[in-house]
Amino acid sequence: MAVVLTLMTIALPWVGALAVWLIGDARSRLQSALAVAFSAAAGLVSLALIPYATGGYEFSVFDAGEAFGRFTFAPDGLGVYLAVIATIIGCLAVVFSLDYMKGEHQLGRYYAFVLFFVGAMAGLVLASNLFLVFLFWEITALCSYALISFHNDDPKAVAGGIKALIITGLGGIGLLVGALLAYSYLGTFNISLFLQNAGQMPAGALATVAFGFLAAAAAKSAQFPFQTWLPDAMEAPTPVSALIHAATMVNAGVYLLARFYPAFAAVPAWRITVISIGVITALMAASMAVVSNDLKRVLAYSTVSQLGYMVYAIGAGGIFASQFHLLNHSAFKALLFLGAGAVIHATGTRDLRLMGGLGRAMPVTRAVFIIGSLALVGIPVLNGFWSKELVLEAGFLGGPLWAYLLAILTAGLTALYTYRCLYLVFYGPSHGKIPPHDAGYAMRAALYPLAIAALVTWLLAGPFSRMLAASLPFHEVDLLPTWEMAVEVLSAPQTFLALAVIALGLAAWRWRERLSPVANAFHGLAQAASNSYGFEWLNRQVVTLTQEAGEALRSTQTGQLNWNVVAIAGALVLVLAIVILGSVL
Amino acid sequence: MNFVNFTWMILLPLAGAPLIYLLGRIGILRWPGTLGPGLARWVCAAILLAAGVVFVQSALTFNQTSIQTFTLGAVNLRLDGLALLISGLALVLGFLVAIFSGPYLAGEDDQEKYYALLALLVGSISGLACAADLFNLWVWFEAMALSTYVLVAFYEARPESLEAGVKYLVQSAVGSALVVFAIAAVFAATGVLDLERIHTVARSSPLLLGAGALFMVGFGVKAALVPLHTWLPDAHSQAPSGISALLSGVVIEAGLIAMLRALGALMGVSLIWGPLLLVFGAANMLFGNLMALRQNQVKRLLAYSSLAHVGYMLLGLGVSMTFGLANGAEGAFFHLLNHGLMKALAFLSAGALLYALYIAHDEHRPLTVEDLAGAARRYPLPTFALSVAVLGLGGLPPLAGFMSKWQIFVAGFQTHDIRIYALVIFAALNSLLSLGYYAPIVNRMYRHKASPRVLEGDPLPAIMAIPLVLLALAVIVLGILPNLATWLTAPAAGSLLAVLGGGG
Amino acid sequence: MSWNIGVIVLAGILGLLGVGLYGLLVLRNLIKVVIAMQILVKGAILALVAAGAAQDQISLGQSLALTVIVADTIVSVVGLALAVQVRSHCGTLDVRALSRLKK
Repeated sequence: MAVVLTLMTIALPWVGALAVWLIGDARSRLQSALAVAFSAAAGLVSLALIPYATGGYEFSVFDAGEAFGRFTFAPDGLGVYLAVIATIIGCLAVVFSLDYMKGEHQLGRYYAFVLFFVGAMAGLVLASNLFLVFLFWEITALCSYALISFHNDDPKAVAGGIKALIITGLGGIGLLVGALLAYSYLGTFNISLFLQNAGQMPAGALATVAFGFLAAAAAKSAQFPFQTWLPDAMEAPTPVSALIHAATMVNAGVYLLARFYPAFAAVPAWRITVISIGVITALMAASMAVVSNDLKRVLAYSTVSQLGYMVYAIGAGGIFASQFHLLNHSAFKALLFLGAGAVIHATGTRDLRLMGGLGRAMPVTRAVFIIGSLALVGIPVLNGFWSKELVLEAGFLGGPLWAYLLAILTAGLTALYTYRCLYLVFYGPSHGKIPPHDAGYAMRAALYPLAIAALVTWLLAGPFSRMLAASLPFHEVDLLPTWEMAVEVLSAPQTFLALAVIALGLAAWRWRERLSPVANAFHGLAQAASNSYGFEWLNRQVVTLTQEAGEALRSTQTGQLNWNVVAIAGALVLVLAIVILGSVL
Repeated sequence: MNFVNFTWMILLPLAGAPLIYLLGRIGILRWPGTLGPGLARWVCAAILLAAGVVFVQSALTFNQTSIQTFTLGAVNLRLDGLALLISGLALVLGFLVAIFSGPYLAGEDDQEKYYALLALLVGSISGLACAADLFNLWVWFEAMALSTYVLVAFYEARPESLEAGVKYLVQSAVGSALVVFAIAAVFAATGVLDLERIHTVARSSPLLLGAGALFMVGFGVKAALVPLHTWLPDAHSQAPSGISALLSGVVIEAGLIAMLRALGALMGVSLIWGPLLLVFGAANMLFGNLMALRQNQVKRLLAYSSLAHVGYMLLGLGVSMTFGLANGAEGAFFHLLNHGLMKALAFLSAGALLYALYIAHDEHRPLTVEDLAGAARRYPLPTFALSVAVLGLGGLPPLAGFMSKWQIFVAGFQTHDIRIYALVIFAALNSLLSLGYYAPIVNRMYRHKASPRVLEGDPLPAIMAIPLVLLALAVIVLGILPNLATWLTAPAAGSLLAVLGGGG
Repeated sequence: MSWNIGVIVLAGILGLLGVGLYGLLVLRNLIKVVIAMQILVKGAILALVAAGAAQDQISLGQSLALTVIVADTIVSVVGLALAVQVRSHCGTLDVRALSRLKK
């Protein structure tokens, strides 16, 4: 049964993608109905998979030969919960799109790629073969590119899509190298076997695999130094941003680190590198969110920052904390993005300076946005509070003090930019047009479940930890019933420290006029932050250099026959020389 | 005379060529208009189909341990795994191109010559693949080259086309001459020309070292090794699109195979052949991708990209020759097959768009990337086909290119040599770089705002759609189930490794 | 005696190779280019005959040479035909004028 459910979780969205594409754009209502139906079906199937996620179970679909391995899948806790997130939020994004994308062209391509992506994401987390993981990894990159550049007529969107494709592909090479090295030493692509036998690899090779996977994860989750693609990816339609760049694809990096943690934890300097990357990213992204004027970019930076927290937690050994935060973050970040989508759809702009006072015209949107914001900031009772505190605690216990202090500082900054964002959109005087009505019915149908999730998913801590502990034999996950977790968090001194810093962050915005001299002192830093600390410049340099290299080479194609023959004669002389040298040495 | 089964595969197209020409001429004289050339086309397609049937029969009865051979006087043929792969690819692509070229060439003069030469080309490629001794190899190689000289300069009234043809002819002839020098050297040193026997008697000597270098450069001109490639961008972009598809898809690969056969015979002479191939591979990858990045004309871009893909094949083959790894050869041959299919699909879809946007209006200008804007709305099938081809060439799953590149990379890492690791990473980076010029094409085609040329374009004849659909399906299916091709690639790799068994 | 002939033949081969390649590198007239190509191939043919003599298989060497002569002739015919077309459609036989296709 688990076999069928697992395969259907991956196959149903793919069949749906094919169906939606073949139906054609002319029959748009049938098309959107099919999209919703297949994504919902996939969600149900993945939920049905939960009881089977007891771990240790693996099955193989077929043997693709020596170079590709056996296509095996392992529906364990770690994989299943991520598949659930992917399919459920995928379904909600499709539902939201019914309103958001109404009247757009080529929707078949849109829905097909969204569904294709959902299936590939499910495949990524359920696969137990390194080649398959890489295969699905690259398919999600393809879908992300196709969806970011969905509006092909917009050069910014096209550039954003290609940038995402190339930067995540660059990281993907790390995954490629790691997978191939593992295969060449262990003779198998199977992940469980890898986790068991990783110690048998030569130390240098294992370290390369560890850092290679780290690079891939960092690129996919937009961590330092690969973070530049995510803000540009915001050119995608907002439901896509919610699904791919908040709740699912960017989680793939965190998933990879979590899955392979047991094999890499012992590699020297690996854990501290992971911690450093996580905490530096978290702080850097939060600072960029504070100065950004684009609503989606603020949320994008926020995502990067929260992913940084998850990476930090993994490095410190808190696997459960990181995955719990991932679960909660998916819910509230998707909520925030969809809420932002409603705002953008209504006002026609993404610029925060052109918004303001929207709370009166869009009370429902404001309410869900507040819920999402409270969760992001980490205010008690909402899901974000519990998991963020667990992350900070894990970091305090398993990582260096400087990292913990930076993480706390980031929490304060998070409060600051979130409140700023909320205020600039929904409160205060209105700087732009007032929308005539609130979010549509389809949008609300997607927003309400997520808002409820933001309020309650923390209650799943107990069963969630049970699922992880049972299904991940190589990781050391402790059982943590919900009540115990709540007590632990509420009684830890770190929690109160964090809450204090968060309060400071909120207050900083509230009293921003009084604090303006302080803000001016940071002006230089703010400038650097809005210029993304030079990373965009670096990106542009690389692209320009490559283009110039290509342009320079063009002069070799002279078009003159005589020069062409010179090249042949020259090559002959060169080859003869090499051959003779080779035989003499 | 006892004709062994597989020789019909070669004989049918070869003997058919003059028949096609004659029937075509008769047809044109009796029925002026489209019917005349149509006769040539359908006879050509029928002959290739018949040869295909022979191929299927030979493939089904193929046995690695008892390889069919055929000897008649000086003609010496062997149907080993590699021969099966190349002949099969040539026949399939040749047949599809024959069908495609009907509407594409409508109204042109000399169509009966085109189809006759097409059959000759396919036949000589099969012959080349089956050649069992060095001189046979050269003769079939020359026949193949000859048929392509005229086909490249098919549009003989246009200066650019003539220019491409002239440069191609001169450079290719230089390469062939170098090969003859090499054959003479081998003959002088060993006294035998049979490939297997040379392998057993060849020992290191200056004459044979020189021969190897001459083989590499001589066949390398045809195989488009950098810097011997300068004829390629012009020839592949000026030829009619069906011929471009064949040139990039099988002809340069045939040159590569000829080089492999010749160097394989000389494996006992030196161990440098493998590493040299790796060096050329790196040069091809980088050069091909960087040049393609700056191209504005679609067919020229695709031509430069062929350079890069030959580079990947050289990587796999070089690894196989240097380290004796089966995956290297198997991956390279799998990539040869996939590249043939994908590049043919790309050229045929670009050709379909070129037809609809220019040729149907009787204009002969190159298809530029800007012309493609918004093509998806009016020409969904060629657009989809070109997207599949181009993204597959870029190595994105679930398309065939991803699978073959992966297999080559697996071999690279099985060597446990850090220099090869660096080369594999270099190849992966190159693959990523290629997306930098492939992806914008796809984006441009799916725009909403169409270019003026697209808006004025003619509809596409239905028969041109058939090769596009078949090739696109093949690329997608091989991308999902790579082991469907193993029955072809494994024996091919086996036949290469059998030769390498002594050296490396 | 045979040592002398061997050296002469070798010099002949290398000489033809050199003249042919040099011609291809330097000559501008398309017809002269085709002739230079012929010279190059003649060097190769001479090499084949010499190889046959060196291995005491003179008849095989000669038949190989004959085949190459035939093939080369056909190539030259095609080349000259192209030259005729170039002359009539481009108005010149200067190879340097045939450089519209570049980069």
